[in-house]
Amino acid sequence: MALPLKYNFRNITVRKSSTFATAFTIGLTVGVFLMVMALARGIDLTLTSSGEPLNLIVLREGSTAELNSSVSRENLNNLMYLDGVVREGDQPLAAPETLTLIYKPRKGMNQGSNVTIRGIGPMSNKLRSGFKTVAGRMFQPGLTEAIVSRRISERFQGLDVGDKFRVQTTDYTVVGLFDAGGKAFESEIWVDVNSLASSTKRDTYSTVLMRAKDQTALASLAKRITDDQRLHLKAVAERTFYEDQQGAASGVLKVLAVFIAIIMAVGAGFAGMNTMYAAVARRTKEIGTLRVLGFRRSSILVAFILESVAIAGIGAGIGILLALPLNFVSTGTANFTNFSEIAFNFRVTPDLMFWALVFGVGIGFLGSLLPSIRASRFKIVDALRAS
Amino acid sequence: MKFSKLVLKNILRNKRRTLLTISSLVVSLFLIITLATILTEFTRGSEKSNPLRLVTRHAVSLGFVLPVAHQQRIATVPGVKAVMPFSWFGGIYKDEKNFFANFAVDAPKLRDVMTELKMSDAEWQAFISDKQGAIVGQKLVTLYGFSPGQRVTLKSPIYDRSVEFIIRGVCTGGDEKTLFFHHEYINELVPAWAKDQVSTFSILANSADDVPRVAQAVDSIFLNTDAPTKTESERDFAISFETMMGGVKQFMYGIMGAIAFSLLLVMGNTMAMTVRERTREVGMLKALGFQRGTIAILFVGEALVVTTVGALIGIGGAMLLFKSVDLSLYVPNFQSFVPTGGTLLGAFAVSIFVGLASVTYSAYRVSGMTIAEALRSTE
Repeated sequence: MALPLKYNFRNITVRKSSTFATAFTIGLTVGVFLMVMALARGIDLTLTSSGEPLNLIVLREGSTAELNSSVSRENLNNLMYLDGVVREGDQPLAAPETLTLIYKPRKGMNQGSNVTIRGIGPMSNKLRSGFKTVAGRMFQPGLTEAIVSRRISERFQGLDVGDKFRVQTTDYTVVGLFDAGGKAFESEIWVDVNSLASSTKRDTYSTVLMRAKDQTALASLAKRITDDQRLHLKAVAERTFYEDQQGAASGVLKVLAVFIAIIMAVGAGFAGMNTMYAAVARRTKEIGTLRVLGFRRSSILVAFILESVAIAGIGAGIGILLALPLNFVSTGTANFTNFSEIAFNFRVTPDLMFWALVFGVGIGFLGSLLPSIRASRFKIVDALRAS
Repeated sequence: MKFSKLVLKNILRNKRRTLLTISSLVVSLFLIITLATILTEFTRGSEKSNPLRLVTRHAVSLGFVLPVAHQQRIATVPGVKAVMPFSWFGGIYKDEKNFFANFAVDAPKLRDVMTELKMSDAEWQAFISDKQGAIVGQKLVTLYGFSPGQRVTLKSPIYDRSVEFIIRGVCTGGDEKTLFFHHEYINELVPAWAKDQVSTFSILANSADDVPRVAQAVDSIFLNTDAPTKTESERDFAISFETMMGGVKQFMYGIMGAIAFSLLLVMGNTMAMTVRERTREVGMLKALGFQRGTIAILFVGEALVVTTVGALIGIGGAMLLFKSVDLSLYVPNFQSFVPTGGTLLGAFAVSIFVGLASVTYSAYRVSGMTIAEALRSTE
């Protein structure tokens, strides 16, 4: 026969301060875990959402990032008209792009970070869904005008509409701000690819982005470009390209999250054990009475475990509530693939919240085992005789 | 002090509770110390930089290269003691997991500019007289078993080249997970666009007063050229790297704050339970004539002993662990992984504070009860 749940909940509310202290300790543990994981998840989601499923990115053979890639103008022409590339009218849906970095101070600071400037071709917008200008207008091809992602404009000095910035000896004027649907491009400045080529005196492009007709065409295009010995290029699905970048940036954070969480959980677990041992000691006589009434040892065991799990559940709830507001916080860090700023949001996703809850309840369960076993092992006579 | 025996007896009365509380303190303090050490290493570049050294990069960003010819012009600037190219090669040894820094430098100038590097004169001579030579930091020897005479191939995705070097010496000081080699050697091998180009110059100034002057003078030389420069102190250069990472510092402090707060809750809960259970005893002590202050001190003393023991074990354990396992081997850019004196002192201060703060309210409340109230308690 199980003890009524009411028994547990009445007990939880008897020692409010003790219950709250224990729950809050677990809450802090869960909260810290969730915050660090939300940071890692923010980076991951930004990068994984960045690749379009049918886009193919062509880089120099052996290069690991767009920044150290180069594709010659001659090769661009070979690539654009390959079979399997989608056409818009008679123009292939492919665009040469050039990447460079510019060092900008953060708002309110003297120091800052590198921001990516992407020179884009006429088709680049069409190759990326989610792009829209949110202030000002699109730059005019051939002019030294630029559009800046809203997030970057918010985080760095001198990148608002009307501001000018310098690349080598050329001044670019910011004419608009854009959003890119939460993708990695929201950490960039976009200018005309040919303007950027002339201001950086580069005679090659960094990469070529192209849209394949379907998955089969994507695979065969990738193979054909990579295998062509004359080109010295490699082609990868854009999605894979961005997914491969996430490990480096968020891996460290995930390790840190698990490391901190485990140690904090041990600390919180010990504290929880203290609370439960005290509860058991205080109610020794009560346990004896329950046993006299016919409740089994197993019922006592389950009752104490449930009580602890419930406290831990409240704690996990507190932790989730503490971390949840982070969902609206935008932050940024260095993406070491391109050595430049990547802006993103903390993402407290439902699956992370679920794992946080499991984690918190797990602490409560493990912490309650020894005290509950102790409670269930009392001899009736001894228990009743306790003071 | 005459009550120290009583305090000790009280602590040992509920051995299990004391043990659990101390264990909780120990792991939390260990975590705080670990995180603080990570933070120390993270800001080492700016805090432990050489005040006489400057870094020159392209004015736009590190993504642009500078002509190696700048070196001659910089050398003529008054106040410059030595200058050399310092170029990130990004070479990978066998596998991407084996990440370590490798730089192309003007070998004969290396010791003049990087004054912290120490190595034997014989190895130094062997290094500068062999164009293909390289020197490696002591920790790379520990990690990969490098030894003088060994040939090591590094593959650089930036330059799209695999280059073989011959190790000529082992150095200590600075980041010992670094490999240096001759810029002259690699300049022959890189693709055309990278020929005679470097990523930064490292400058050593004659005196601290010269540092801002040199920075200004260097930048003004190249202001209207194709490759304008930005010269700043090594400290500012390091800070720019640290700010690149964003709010790491604040984030870490936030986590440490949360741990310290949970520590306070744990200890506070323990002391609250302890004090509550002894309410009736307090009544008896009062009946025997004990003053309120004495009773409060008994509880405060008990909390302080528990936190001090926890602090000593936590701090000692962290020291022992980090001294026996050098974690810096496995973290890029970390030069050591030993807590600083400040960190240990800080951890100790946190535990004393937690000890005092945890017991204040309970001790105040229970010691202020009247004899009758305390004796009537049902705990």
